[in-house]
Amino acid sequence: MIKIAKFIIPRVLVLAITLIAANFIYTKFFFEKDLQMHADMINLTRGKDSARVIYMGESSNFTSHSDDKDPRSISGMLCDYFPGLNIQDISHGALHAYNYYIFLKTIQNNSKLETIIITLNLRSFDANWRYSDLETFLQKQMVMIDPTYPPLFRRFLLGFKGYDNKTVKERERQFLHEWETTVLKVPFPLQYNTVRKWDKGIATNGYIDVSGNRNEDSTILACHYVKTYAFQIDTNKNPRIKDFDNIVKLAKQRGWHVIFNLMAENTQKADKLVGKELVYLIKQNRDLLVSRYSKMGAIVVDNLECVNDSNYIDQNWTTEHYKETGRKTIAKNLSEALKTIYPQYYKSIVADNK
Amino acid sequence: MLFNTLHFLIFFVVVFVLFFTLPHKFRWVMLLAASCYFYMAFIPIYILILAFTIVVDYFAGIMIEKSHDKRKRWFLIASLVANIGILAFFKYYNFLNNNLSLLLGKFGYPDPIPALEIILPIGLSFHTFQAMSYTIEVYRGKQKAERHFGIYALYVMFYPQLVAGPIERPQNLLHQFHNKHSFSIQNLSDGLRLIIYGLFLKMVIADNVSPYVNSMYANPQNYSSTDIITALCFYSIQIYCDFCGYSLIAIGSAKSMGFNLMNNFHTPYFSRTVSEFWKRWHISLSTWFKDYLYIPLGGNRVALPRWMFNIFIVFAISGLWHGASWNFVIWGVLWGLLNVGEVLYNKLFSRPEEKGDFKIWHSIHAAKMFIIATFLWVFFRSENMEKVKLLAKSIKHNFSLNNSLNVPHLVWALLIVFLVFEIMFYNHRFDKWCEKRDPIIKWSVYIILISSIIMFAGIEDIPFIYFQF
Repeated sequence: MIKIAKFIIPRVLVLAITLIAANFIYTKFFFEKDLQMHADMINLTRGKDSARVIYMGESSNFTSHSDDKDPRSISGMLCDYFPGLNIQDISHGALHAYNYYIFLKTIQNNSKLETIIITLNLRSFDANWRYSDLETFLQKQMVMIDPTYPPLFRRFLLGFKGYDNKTVKERERQFLHEWETTVLKVPFPLQYNTVRKWDKGIATNGYIDVSGNRNEDSTILACHYVKTYAFQIDTNKNPRIKDFDNIVKLAKQRGWHVIFNLMAENTQKADKLVGKELVYLIKQNRDLLVSRYSKMGAIVVDNLECVNDSNYIDQNWTTEHYKETGRKTIAKNLSEALKTIYPQYYKSIVADNK
Repeated sequence: MLFNTLHFLIFFVVVFVLFFTLPHKFRWVMLLAASCYFYMAFIPIYILILAFTIVVDYFAGIMIEKSHDKRKRWFLIASLVANIGILAFFKYYNFLNNNLSLLLGKFGYPDPIPALEIILPIGLSFHTFQAMSYTIEVYRGKQKAERHFGIYALYVMFYPQLVAGPIERPQNLLHQFHNKHSFSIQNLSDGLRLIIYGLFLKMVIADNVSPYVNSMYANPQNYSSTDIITALCFYSIQIYCDFCGYSLIAIGSAKSMGFNLMNNFHTPYFSRTVSEFWKRWHISLSTWFKDYLYIPLGGNRVALPRWMFNIFIVFAISGLWHGASWNFVIWGVLWGLLNVGEVLYNKLFSRPEEKGDFKIWHSIHAAKMFIIATFLWVFFRSENMEKVKLLAKSIKHNFSLNNSLNVPHLVWALLIVFLVFEIMFYNHRFDKWCEKRDPIIKWSVYIILISSIIMFAGIEDIPFIYFQF
């Protein structure tokens, strides 16, 4: 035993010293270059130290329509209500709660941040998004940005694929499996109890329009609505729940206020294309999230049904891309919530929500 | 499961710890289960193909041993047909189909057999060759048939060499599963050394030059001749580091548990002759072809023309083994022609093989061999012959010294480090080289290797090149 210890201890010591020195060298000479090369999203978080409010979102924040008179983002419009308050945003397409959590971890303790507004996108809980092929790209970025570990260890994880690294095919297999096997449980009779069956049912029967004919485009869209919204959030298994929970915990530790901005979904179209059953599932998930995070002390701004079908930019797909009116409505709803924290900064403006 | 992942590092540690904590009689079960898990991490369903060949070869081995003369031969044929049949179906079916369609299409039969969507099971060429070597050796009476089904299955499935070799012989490996292995610091050190150097070759060298090779091969017409030649040299380095790196990690993983696998590479780019190159490159495959094809054909103990034919046919088949495509066949044929040419040249001028250490003259010959190998890798790397032609055209028409590959200084520096190491380790496997060195030198090398792996490993998801075979 002593022989083994004599053999191992000096080697472990040399290795430890090597790693400490390597971490120093790496941090000093290579880390920033690697960040810019493999994790340029880090730049989204930089220069935010002076912000008192940070709005975190995905494409719903900044996507505008070509006809919009005011193409500004939701966070930009929100600033109108609080002229004296430093509100900044961290936005990038396809971001979700895990990314927000990692970004929040990078915020220095001495920053002026007081309030975080987090986009709560219902779709980010569905299988299609969770197993999206973009995930590997995002995970790669996050592994380098996550400040939990020293830079050298982050680089090690990046090199050794120490993140959720799956091929497009593997991810496809994952969401197909979930659609096939997850049974939807509702307190009323449901013709199809899995996404797979529901999708197949609609594809077979087709969407019948007012003229009584099968409309192929609407059938495809209806199938897509089912694949996007026909799910029930499992609070034990859905990783987004863990991510949002972590955000709330982190905010508590750092003394930040949390406002969850539950985004509007096109429930009118869901109802028209698929029916009440799908809207029931959407609202059930909304209720769960509102109740869960309100109980945890966060303010949840429920925008779910506040944008009319006509104010969605993408009429042939499921997105949270709103026209100017939609964005203004959401900004207004958010301002009401933010007013409870910063009443002194609030300035009432007449919203042009036509 | 890829060797260059955190998943594998954890797997390796768990298997290693379990191996030495379990009593000897249970170790094979654990190793077999671990190997199944390792293989199923790729595409789980394909384990059934492995299971099928294992069952066939296990019983074939026993029946061959029990039988005599004709019956014995029939059992061998049955085993070979099963193995080659599976290989032919999964690897060569569509190749055959494409060529038949092309040929018979001219006579009005464009689709003589239906095209199938087949995914090649990972490592198929490797484990079928290993399985075949077992039944052939039993047939030859050089190996006793294995009665323990689990041990035989482990011989085919032993995780370190399951998907890309080294292609083992039963005489070397089977008995090792019966032997009791005690924990040994020496084995662990040797194993770790090999793993570290293997990871360095794969992750630091191969994966860092690969993006430049890929971008050049994607659009050769956009690059200058200087860029193309640089990328071609990079590919020579990439394929060596990729495959040798894999082999070293495989050998090291087995070594740490006390299993000795055969060497697969021996600084091949320092070879002076074509024949020497093939004694140093993918040794387990070269010797397989030598033992089971070249020598049965008569080897060099036949008349000169037949000898030349034997060499040529072995290389042509070796080319086809690598991939179901004509460019692999052409690659093999060209190596075959070079070998034949060299043998004839040596016959005519009776030039003795040079021996000795690394000297200037040796360097010149090594450079010559590197250029030859680099030229031939073009056929290996190109997806089809059109790409080969495009490359040749681009070199000719885009003649300039412009450098648009933009290879960073860091990559050049790493390549220099690699070259220095290869010269240092010439004629020695890394673990053996370390044994003879002063601790300061040895540890300096370890520190460079470990730091480079952590700091400079390529980050793209680049699978091992030989996995596709």
